[in-house]
Amino acid sequence: MRTRLVIAFIIVALLSALASSWFHTLIGAYRLPGWLDDVIVGPGWLQGLVHTAPGQAAPHPVRHTALLFFGVAAGLLLAIITTFAIAASRPVLLPVRRLARAAQRMSGGDLSVRIQPRGRDELAQLVTSFNGMASALEDKMGALQQMEARARQFAGDVSHELRTPLTAMTAVVGILHEHPGLTGDAAAAAGLVQQEVQHLNRLVEDLIEISRFDAGTAQLVTDETDVANAVGQCLRTRGWSNVGTDVPAGLTARLDRRRFDVVLANLVGNALRHGGLPVTVKAGIQADDQGDEQLAMEVRDHGVGLRPAAIPYVFDRFYKADTARARSDGSGLGLAIAWENARLHGGHIQAGNHPDGGAVFTVSLPLNTMAASGPGTHSAASASRSADAAGP
Amino acid sequence: MATVLLVEDDPAARQGLELALRRLGYGVHAAETGEAALRDVRDAAADVVVLDVMLPGLDGFEVCRQLHRGSDIPVIMLTARGDDLDIVAGLEAGADDYVVKPVEPRVLDARIRAVIRRTARTGSPAETYGELMIDRGSLIVRRAGQDILLTPTELRLLLVLSGSPRQVFSREQLLDLVWEHDYLGDSRLVDACVQRLRAKIETDTSEPRYIQTVRGFGYRFGPV
Repeated sequence: MRTRLVIAFIIVALLSALASSWFHTLIGAYRLPGWLDDVIVGPGWLQGLVHTAPGQAAPHPVRHTALLFFGVAAGLLLAIITTFAIAASRPVLLPVRRLARAAQRMSGGDLSVRIQPRGRDELAQLVTSFNGMASALEDKMGALQQMEARARQFAGDVSHELRTPLTAMTAVVGILHEHPGLTGDAAAAAGLVQQEVQHLNRLVEDLIEISRFDAGTAQLVTDETDVANAVGQCLRTRGWSNVGTDVPAGLTARLDRRRFDVVLANLVGNALRHGGLPVTVKAGIQADDQGDEQLAMEVRDHGVGLRPAAIPYVFDRFYKADTARARSDGSGLGLAIAWENARLHGGHIQAGNHPDGGAVFTVSLPLNTMAASGPGTHSAASASRSADAAGP
Repeated sequence: MATVLLVEDDPAARQGLELALRRLGYGVHAAETGEAALRDVRDAAADVVVLDVMLPGLDGFEVCRQLHRGSDIPVIMLTARGDDLDIVAGLEAGADDYVVKPVEPRVLDARIRAVIRRTARTGSPAETYGELMIDRGSLIVRRAGQDILLTPTELRLLLVLSGSPRQVFSREQLLDLVWEHDYLGDSRLVDACVQRLRAKIETDTSEPRYIQTVRGFGYRFGPV
């Protein structure tokens, strides 16, 4: 690298010397005494051109030509020097530019990027070090991702395995519970067993659901859905007659009916368990940041609201806002599942507090999740969590 | 009361389900493997098969396919995974319905009853649409004079759709009318059953004449 620069410098210096000696010969041949003074104060012919008074001497033709030569020669010299300078800097700038582009791609998440090193100078060494760093980072990330995938796979497998014994238990626990021969402690114990089997079923069900999101196998089956109808049915089937609704009639969106129901049921269930009455569900159309119309649904309670410190974590798995509460009816995965379902639709959920008190969960879903390809559209989407979505 | 052929390899689950079904009043014939189920299906005089997907040897899908080769006995798949792939494969194999383990006895009961109800007859005269003859009284469907073997679910779907020709039924409505599922039932049941029905009654399944798709809304019968 340094050698190239030195060579380029010598060439430019040599050329400059050549050019100046050529000038000297050129100008000397015309014998122009005091031409330099003319250049500095302004040549007489120029003054002559400006003041075209009659009787003044015309500019000397020889001086004219010499100045033209001087201009052309200076221009040429400048062009040659610039060309050499660019040629000399190219070998330095090109690898730097390639390196910058590679670093940019890497910060964009592409860890497979590598650069072909050329030569043996300092830049080539830098490129080799960059490649080494990139492959080390790629290996580390790959190992981490594998570990995470194994952990998730394990959670999913465990849940599946639990289903077989739970099938037998679920089938017979009712027989035990309804047995007329059981009284007192035995009846209470049977009741407890039934209740906990149901709880375990819910937990396993939710764990399997969330492991489907992790594995990217969760599927969206969308249908044209009347929102007021869907909200009404969700609340009715669960016996939540005390929940107020404000959904305009005729509001439709292309949604996965089951998943929409899961989102709403989890949010309302959460509001009823942890918030204060009255709980209300409001839906309407709203424009998002890009000006696209979205279905906006708001579930609000009138309790004490969320602790500001808890807001970023409410969608985390098994997160309990109130650490004193040992356990609730839910699996602890309800909000995480609601969040994943909203994401699968291409939407999101935000948690926050209403200025007049109480927690507010706002679901935003695109009105048309997927293009229709039949009466229903099936599509799979991988859903990985990002940290930005649970903000207030 | 109806007899259930229960196919489940896990002894505890088999015993538990058998107990629950007997208590609900069903006659139960339990089989450990798919091979045993195929062998016993005639002798057991079963009205419905409750079939586990994960079986040693022949898996549930294959058993379902072989069962439907010579019989129209309804099959309810019992899937341990509840994975979408399993469900889709089960429906493609010809399952009439499915339940996900662990299943509550009352849910299984409701599904079995609904499947059996589909074989109920109505007393109306035979109707003809194009080459298709539908006899609601004797539950016979013929195309160009040839008898077509339909499972109770396929038949019921055809009867519901052809009962109101040209009327568009949403998949939700069909789930309610044919499968008796609640409003969140799996609409893939409808799609899979429509595919199977088309394969049996349509001349060209890519351009269905009888069971037509109305994009974004559902299905309708005709106009022929």
